[in-house]
Amino acid sequence: MKILKTFEKGFQTTNKRLKMVVYLWLINFIFSVLIVTPVYFLIKKDLPRSLISDQILKGTELLWLGDIIYKYQDLLPALVGWFLVPAIFFMLLYIFLYGGIIGRIAAQDEKINLTSFLSDCSKYFFPFLRVFLISLVAYLVVFGGIHSLISALFNLWKKSASTEWPLILSSILEFLVLVLLFSIVRMFFDYVRVRLVVEKSKKAIRATLINLTFIGKRFFRAWFLYLLVGLITAVFGVIYLAVYQPLPKIGVLLIVGFIWQQMYVVSRMWTKILFYSTEYHFFNLHKE
Amino acid sequence: MKKKKPYLKFLFFMLTLSFIGPAALLGEKRISNVRYEIWVELDDQNQMLHGKENITWLNNTRDDVQDMWFHLYYNAFKNEQSTTIQESKEEWFGAFGIKIKEGRWGCVDVTSIKLADGTDLKPTMEFITQDKPVHPGDQTVMRVLFPEPVKPGEEAHLQLEFESKIPRSIHRSSYYQNSYFIAQWFPKPGVYEEGKGWNCHEYHLNSEFYADFAEFTVHITVPEDFVVGASGKQIKAVPDMEKKTVTYTFYQDNIHDFAWTADPDFIKVERDFIADEEVSLEEYEEVARMLQLPVEEVKLPDVKMILLIEPEHKSQIDRHFKALRMAIKYYGLWYGPYPYETVTMVDPPFRTRSGGMEYPTLFTAGTGILRSKKVLSPEGVIIHEFGHGYWYGLCANNEFEEAWLDEGINTYSEGKVTAIAYGPGAMPISFQRIPLSWFCKLPEYYNYELERATAIHVVELDPITTISWKFYNRGSYGLNVYARASTCLYTLEGLVGEEMMLRILRTFQMRFRYKHPQTQDFIDVVNEVTGKDLSWFFEELFFSTLNFDYGISSVASKEKKKYVRGVFDVDGRREEITSKSIKKMEKEDKKSDDKKFYVTEVKVRRFGEARVRGDTTMKLKVVFEDGSEEVIDWRGQERWKKFTFEKPAKAEYAQIDPDNIWLVDSNLTNNSLKRKPSRKGIFKVTTQLLFLIQNYLQCAASIT
Repeated sequence: MKILKTFEKGFQTTNKRLKMVVYLWLINFIFSVLIVTPVYFLIKKDLPRSLISDQILKGTELLWLGDIIYKYQDLLPALVGWFLVPAIFFMLLYIFLYGGIIGRIAAQDEKINLTSFLSDCSKYFFPFLRVFLISLVAYLVVFGGIHSLISALFNLWKKSASTEWPLILSSILEFLVLVLLFSIVRMFFDYVRVRLVVEKSKKAIRATLINLTFIGKRFFRAWFLYLLVGLITAVFGVIYLAVYQPLPKIGVLLIVGFIWQQMYVVSRMWTKILFYSTEYHFFNLHKE
Repeated sequence: MKKKKPYLKFLFFMLTLSFIGPAALLGEKRISNVRYEIWVELDDQNQMLHGKENITWLNNTRDDVQDMWFHLYYNAFKNEQSTTIQESKEEWFGAFGIKIKEGRWGCVDVTSIKLADGTDLKPTMEFITQDKPVHPGDQTVMRVLFPEPVKPGEEAHLQLEFESKIPRSIHRSSYYQNSYFIAQWFPKPGVYEEGKGWNCHEYHLNSEFYADFAEFTVHITVPEDFVVGASGKQIKAVPDMEKKTVTYTFYQDNIHDFAWTADPDFIKVERDFIADEEVSLEEYEEVARMLQLPVEEVKLPDVKMILLIEPEHKSQIDRHFKALRMAIKYYGLWYGPYPYETVTMVDPPFRTRSGGMEYPTLFTAGTGILRSKKVLSPEGVIIHEFGHGYWYGLCANNEFEEAWLDEGINTYSEGKVTAIAYGPGAMPISFQRIPLSWFCKLPEYYNYELERATAIHVVELDPITTISWKFYNRGSYGLNVYARASTCLYTLEGLVGEEMMLRILRTFQMRFRYKHPQTQDFIDVVNEVTGKDLSWFFEELFFSTLNFDYGISSVASKEKKKYVRGVFDVDGRREEITSKSIKKMEKEDKKSDDKKFYVTEVKVRRFGEARVRGDTTMKLKVVFEDGSEEVIDWRGQERWKKFTFEKPAKAEYAQIDPDNIWLVDSNLTNNSLKRKPSRKGIFKVTTQLLFLIQNYLQCAASIT
């Protein structure tokens, strides 16, 4: 019951911090627009004056898709680079933003404005960068070690398979294990960040080590709470698809579809804050 | 070798005359010039085949034949010196090639080879490697010398014994646990070509097979609990209680290969294709009209359909049969009736890597446990592999040298049958083996769209007619002989019309049934049936690497000026027209009801090297804002040409090839050009991409 109460508190906190959702969405949107712009100009050069552009409105058709792929095949390595490098910058940007997100969640009574948000962002950037670097080691251990071990076990099962069933089940289970392992690592370092903010500390290694005991003592409760918010994220995904898929992509509905897509992106930002809000309240509840 | 005695020849002649009548003797050769009787026993403990083989080979050429060449395909998996494995290593540095783990090699040993009179030919036995580049360690072609030549019309009778180690989970023919798919397993003579000698290539990575039509009687002995399927018709099953085995005998004439499968888990289901229930009289009449044949000639026979399916795919039995029924129906109606009594469809045993392969009267399909009905799999593979019964099975081209003749024509045919039977299918995208089309609507497409989208990438690599193992790489082989050849055939269909195309393929099929046609035979049929010389079409698109790309480079409309400035001689005196006077005159004109006229200039270009020839032209359509159209034909020889139109409206757009005949065109985007751009399509693509990037960035951020 305490977990549900914590969840409720986190939910309320998140809804009081909607301004941050707008910040995050704007940052994501602008960053994405910057990436898409060159691609837009590339296709704008050829497509708008071709009748093919009318066919695009009717849906995905391999005739025009094939044309685009064929036309820009030489640009593929450059495009991959173009998508990869900004992603790395975006990751760094998020390390920066986490300070603002958690800092403003922790400043319960204060109003949110851009100055206070950015001030928290800069205050925690370097400690959070260290947390990120430590988390990379953890990812390496979990995915390089534990997951490889689990994979090897699944491979043994697959090797002796007489039908496709073990292959199907093992690939689903393996994926599930991967997701759960990821959620554990992710949750663990969320709490490290929350601890740093609550304790107004910059000692990332110390916070990580203390967090081992903290999470160790109440692992299942913390994980349950984390998965609960994860479930909400998944539900939003399902709702998005259920509405977007049957929506005709023509005329004004094209714009409606675009707005719906942006609402889904906003929902992702909202759940991101919900993760931290619930974790913050859980941490405060069990603080030693 | 046993020579026929003259009186026996006479007796045989009289007997034949009395049974089949003189007509057959006047112009027709016997279809099968080889007769096999094979006894093979499956050793399930050691994954071995123990075989005896009697071969009767008739020399139906005018040559004296000194030797005989055999395919020993299993030796492709004997060691890393085989041509197949060597070629596989050359392909992407072996990354995607055949990798055989230790203890999984396969091979065939001919332990004895004699003539029927007891003459031992084994001392003359040698392995031949003649294909370039040479792989000297290859042992997939064997030659023996006859003590004296086989004269024209004579038969050679050979008796062989062989032992084969079945390879594990490798390529087409293999075993996994106690499931077997056995193909290319027995020593098989090549094809003797008059004046040229034996056509008997090594087993190449990128090629399939070639053999003479033959009569097969095969006795297969397997442990009693095995379910067996094979080429031809099962005529006997004799159990041996003591050995706990069963010997199945299969017989089929007029086929050129024999494959079989054995698996204790197979579920065997038999159903009948009853022509009268499958095809209505209206359908017969329609097809007869299109083919310009009497209805009686397009009528189909009944066929026994046999399915051997793995228990985990049991729920897909109806799906398999429906696809097969559709294939028998449409291949039969369009290209000619299926001439055999049975067709066996095998759901390939797990991990035998034998799926999607054709053998006469038997083929392997391929499915998975989780399949969406929107994705046409296994349907596509069933239709394709059954179709090979026509293109390869009956029109038995040399797949080593001209693979497009069966793969290309059959890919085209498969697309036509799939389209009429099912419509478009959803993209086969899965996540963790779960079909995504269960959860969301995936784009749907017709086969020809995918084929064209992939084919355009390999146009400049190799001609379609390249010898199988001489393509730039496996991708070029696959895309050229399947996708590009099919795309070119769709283009040919666009050019000559759908009904004419049906008549071409029907004529080709029926004329070359039980024969070995070549590319030139196909071209001859095209020219004959259409009554046009379309050889250029093949020169440009099949024998060359020329890119086909016509397009519009500019379209512009401007008002036609009635008045121009300058000094003019009018009625013997000089008069100057100035801008001011023009304006005045135009003002006057506006008062009258004179229509404005516009001059539209359209420039068309031949971007690619390939060009249309003969009396074929490229059609140019210009649509104007008042809804009117102008359609003109361009010979298409020049690199570019300007067309001018004078109309009371501005152009809306210009389009070359408005009927989409030239599917082979590598850039359909430039086939049309609007005078004014429209951004709706771009908005859609860009917003979709934006949304993808937004989510991609969020995922990247999740790692931090």
